[in-house]
Amino acid sequence: MEPTPDDRGGALDLGAVDHRAIVVVHQNGSVESAEQLPVRLVVRDDLERTRLTVLFRLFLAIPVLVWVLLRGIAAFVVGFVNWLAVLVQGEVPDSLHDFVASYIRYATQVSAYVFLAANPYPWFRCQKDYPIDLEIDPPVRQGRWGGFFRLLLAIPALLLAAALGGGFASGSSSQGSATASRGGDEAFWFNVTSVGGVAAAAAFLAWFAILARKRAPRGLRDLVAFTLGYAAQAGSYLFLLTPRYPTSDPALAEPYSELPEHPVRMVVTDDLERPRLTVIFRLFLAIPHIVWILLWSIAVVLVAFVAWVAALITGRVPDALQRFLGAYIRYGTHLGAFIYLVGRRFPGFTGRAGSYGIDVEIDPAERQSRWRTLFRFFLAIPAFILAGALGGVALVIALLTWWYALATGRMPEGMRNLGASCLRYSAQTYAFALLVTSRYPYGGPILREAERVEETLARPPGTAPLVGDAF
Amino acid sequence: MAALAVGAFLLYPTAVPDDLTLGTLDVDEVFGASFVAEAKQYERFFYVLWALAQVALLFTLWIYSRRGAVLARESSAGPIGTGMLLGMLGLGIVWLVHLPFGVVAHWWRRRNEQSELSYLDWLFEDWAILGAQFLSICIALLVVMGLARRLNDHWWLPGAAVFVAIASLFTFVAPYLDFTTEPLRDKTLLAASDEYRSELGVGAIPIRVEEVSPDTDQANAYAYGLGPSRRVVFWDTMLLDPFSEDEQKVVLAHELAHHSQRHLPEGLGWFALFAIPGAWVLMRTTRRRGGMGAPEAVPLALLVVAIFQLATAPLANHISRRIEAEADWKALQVTEDPAALEGVMLGFSQTGLGDPDPPGWVQLMVGTHPALADRVAMARAFADRN
Repeated sequence: MEPTPDDRGGALDLGAVDHRAIVVVHQNGSVESAEQLPVRLVVRDDLERTRLTVLFRLFLAIPVLVWVLLRGIAAFVVGFVNWLAVLVQGEVPDSLHDFVASYIRYATQVSAYVFLAANPYPWFRCQKDYPIDLEIDPPVRQGRWGGFFRLLLAIPALLLAAALGGGFASGSSSQGSATASRGGDEAFWFNVTSVGGVAAAAAFLAWFAILARKRAPRGLRDLVAFTLGYAAQAGSYLFLLTPRYPTSDPALAEPYSELPEHPVRMVVTDDLERPRLTVIFRLFLAIPHIVWILLWSIAVVLVAFVAWVAALITGRVPDALQRFLGAYIRYGTHLGAFIYLVGRRFPGFTGRAGSYGIDVEIDPAERQSRWRTLFRFFLAIPAFILAGALGGVALVIALLTWWYALATGRMPEGMRNLGASCLRYSAQTYAFALLVTSRYPYGGPILREAERVEETLARPPGTAPLVGDAF
Repeated sequence: MAALAVGAFLLYPTAVPDDLTLGTLDVDEVFGASFVAEAKQYERFFYVLWALAQVALLFTLWIYSRRGAVLARESSAGPIGTGMLLGMLGLGIVWLVHLPFGVVAHWWRRRNEQSELSYLDWLFEDWAILGAQFLSICIALLVVMGLARRLNDHWWLPGAAVFVAIASLFTFVAPYLDFTTEPLRDKTLLAASDEYRSELGVGAIPIRVEEVSPDTDQANAYAYGLGPSRRVVFWDTMLLDPFSEDEQKVVLAHELAHHSQRHLPEGLGWFALFAIPGAWVLMRTTRRRGGMGAPEAVPLALLVVAIFQLATAPLANHISRRIEAEADWKALQVTEDPAALEGVMLGFSQTGLGDPDPPGWVQLMVGTHPALADRVAMARAFADRN
């Protein structure tokens, strides 16, 4: 949750934009950009990776992980002193601020290395010009009440950071160890996709892609960077480096991330009002929809099989089947948005285009590669792993914002947009799995499409990689 | 109307002799004066609470019927989907209004050692049921609004028929959805079941046990299902002290009698007799809001249904009491043990702190079973006859 006045509503000035990928109508006039945040992520990474260091990345990271743990203990002690300092004089002393800021920067660099968002070894001290780095503003005066309750106030942000799983907060996944200790494949996958957080799932998938291509997939790198940025904000807030509450708006990733063109696009026209009556019973109100989507899913399995056979024979999905499957994907997105509080209104039952504030635009059927169609189910598995992890984030968002919306009657814009981003990936994953498109879902967190996507333009038509930059 | 009257005439008779007169019973003597005083004090609290809850319910639904339609703006669905939303929100509001009354009632039960459930457990134990209610209201509105949009004012007769069909389906299917009971293992009771079934002329009926003893001392048993899905379920508290073996047998005979006397199909017949005029009243009263095809009529429909249920409660409860009295009578005939039935009633009053002789208005509005004193009186009347 983002309760501070300067973070409610528009975390970034996207304005009323009308891009191909998304239309975001922001609800208030508060203008802020990533550059104005007190904790800023800087990405200088060129996506190039060394296969050998990637292959043994976890083992290579053990010494720096031990070191970051030891520094973390010291940072916790200093954090407590910071807390006392804020209570007494309303400000953190420069030296203590620099010590903790240095720890958070270092933890971010180590996490970037572990999660494959950066290539150079981070060694044992915070490095200048590391490919993934932080800029942290000097200390400012802070409210004593906000300081006094800081640990309590930070809990929602830490929960979201844990779900995102990036860096600083990833160590809190104790449930993962318990699950894994029970053994079995199920526990392993649960660990990777859910408790380990989005960063772990993205790194797990990136590991294979890098070994194959010697290059990190742009979408996955950006996603990991975003999680690191949020974790750094949460850590800085917890340790009283800043009074500014973390913002989870995916637009924060815009300085380093781009959203390529995709046949499945998210359209957000919803507002941020959330009437309390529809919030308190949200899950119960979704019951008829859940029953309906279960019934619809049965038909979708059959239709998808027919579409698969047709695509194998003719090279494209028949228009009628494309519309049917597209409506199902739209409906699933509408329903997901409603359940996770990303959308305000009770959705319709037909998945009609343009009928809901959190909507999906789907292009008409196009020719598809028969090889890619033949192995579609297997190719979709990595995307489903990431979609599962992002679903965990959406769930945490729903749990947190349920309370927030009950109290205020509104949805924090950053959370809404992050939830929409998770749903966008899910919709693209289902569209790929159900043969609505042959384009792989894009893992980058941002919602707004870049005005210029160089790599896409530079690539010859029809040669979009299977797993790679389009991931 | 004539068809309804004929239906009621056919369903009304029971096996209880018309000339059976229940003698005057000294409740204090049978149940103990101090216990009766304690039970009356305990139950009086619930009577007041029930009355207040009804007032709050009607007031809330009245407000909702006037203002609830504006919530249609919270829907992106079509008319029927929007109607579902308004229906579910109405149900949610009713739940919220009842919540404080429920909390107070639970506090009273705990204070009087009638429940050991924590408040949190109490709050969460019925969430599945609440979910089922949300789904049920959606199905009901889907049927009503779907028919009303096609048939306009003529929806009520086919609508009532669909409701009866759905109720029948649920009655039939419900036992198959039960995953909380275990088969009865008591050989004596199983042997008695065979004997009673033979005398009552019913086929094989599984007897099952539901564990409730961790949460309550109250005892109960019930019969449900239709045809091949018929079941009898004992709460495990019924198989514990203070109930003797003979008393358990008479309860078993009572539940089997519900099946032998076809009370469940009969109940569906009565449901139909209430559903038909109920649907007609609904059609008439919602006309000024555009009829049941319009989502704006749904909040008003909820108020109408609540009033209809309250207004017909005396008649519905009267019929229910007759059915229960018939099951008691058949149990007495099969077991020929009026003392055991009397013992059961004493046990019920003790374990549930039930008022043996509640006020007339309470029996009228909420009395689905004869008063414990009346049931004891029937046992004594049976003994006198034989």
